[in-house]
Amino acid sequence: MKPLRPTLRDSFRYVAFTLNSEEPVRTRDLQAEIFDAAKSLFGDVGVSKLGIKFVMFDGTKGLVRCRYQHVSELQATLASIGKIENNRVGVTVVGTSGTIKAAIEKYLQIDEKIRRIISSYVTVPVSGKAVRMRGKEIDIIPEDREIVDRADVRFIGITIDDNERLI
Amino acid sequence: MMPDYVDISVHAFPEGADTPKRLNLVARSLGFTAIGLTAHSPYWSQFSDSNAISGIEIVAHSVRDLRKKIAFFSDTVAVISVHGGDEQINRAACTDDRVDLLMHPERGKRGGLNQVTAKIAEKNGVALGLSFGYFWKTGQVARSRMLAFQHQNVVLCQKFGVPIVITSDAYSHFDLRAPRQLKALARLLPLEDTEATAALSSAPRNIIKRSAQKEEERA
Repeated sequence: MKPLRPTLRDSFRYVAFTLNSEEPVRTRDLQAEIFDAAKSLFGDVGVSKLGIKFVMFDGTKGLVRCRYQHVSELQATLASIGKIENNRVGVTVVGTSGTIKAAIEKYLQIDEKIRRIISSYVTVPVSGKAVRMRGKEIDIIPEDREIVDRADVRFIGITIDDNERLI
Repeated sequence: MMPDYVDISVHAFPEGADTPKRLNLVARSLGFTAIGLTAHSPYWSQFSDSNAISGIEIVAHSVRDLRKKIAFFSDTVAVISVHGGDEQINRAACTDDRVDLLMHPERGKRGGLNQVTAKIAEKNGVALGLSFGYFWKTGQVARSRMLAFQHQNVVLCQKFGVPIVITSDAYSHFDLRAPRQLKALARLLPLEDTEATAALSSAPRNIIKRSAQKEEERA
């Protein structure tokens, strides 16, 4: 089949995003969740108009494609993702670009902060076990589950400044 | 130039799961210049961050209780918001000019606002707080219901000139969203880009300014 002429082709935008999650997320699950979220927000007809295509994901950052008129709908879709496989996540849009190359060069050259596994008992601000650390951020598994159940997460999040003993 | 984005209603430790410093750190990396810590009144504590705006979200079971709590907190914190939902509470919050923000009035059986309350709110400078947390916290049925009610309230507020404030109503850093994403969600309601930007920047800034003025008057 003859390919479509460039003037007849759709114009697309590539939306770069970063993903923050409690546990590592599989690409397949994220892809399914993006389509589910879009379908739940806009329905089958809406999704067909958005022209969503999942391009890449490396564990913390990725790219999704959509038609150029519908970038805002895709951003809303990504914002409405709260959980993947019972794992709290937050998807943040970093930028939009016209080509994959430009999107990667402009927005996905992020220095990843390495997550270190630590193990120390803390009492401030809550008693529990500090289990991991990334940059200034520290996650604690608390003994009393009341707060984490209310917020629907697994960890109490603090920073180094909250508990200076941990440095 | 980027506007000064403020997320004026987040719930920090001990109500939510993240300390004020952690929420501030994440919010700044997303593009906010400040956050407002508005714990629900049963969880209110002095545990705070000097870089965050202090606030309260008053939960009241009756109008009398609401007035008592407003009188107590109006001297201690900068931003006074009211946990809306009940129609009587919504109306009482709109009639009190010490109140800065009426959060999610749509949580009751109906939209929670009508032309009368909207007019009073405009007169007393009470803003409507749109909490977008339900987009990623609730199921489809509840979400479409909330969206319909918020739609109705936004139209009312636009008609009567009530300021609108968009917040994430976060309980942890997973609930925080970047300003551009909140604006994209606001476009699903009938909010234009400029209105959404104002709801995230100038409207919360005006609330903070107003509370600073009130403090000066008291001093």
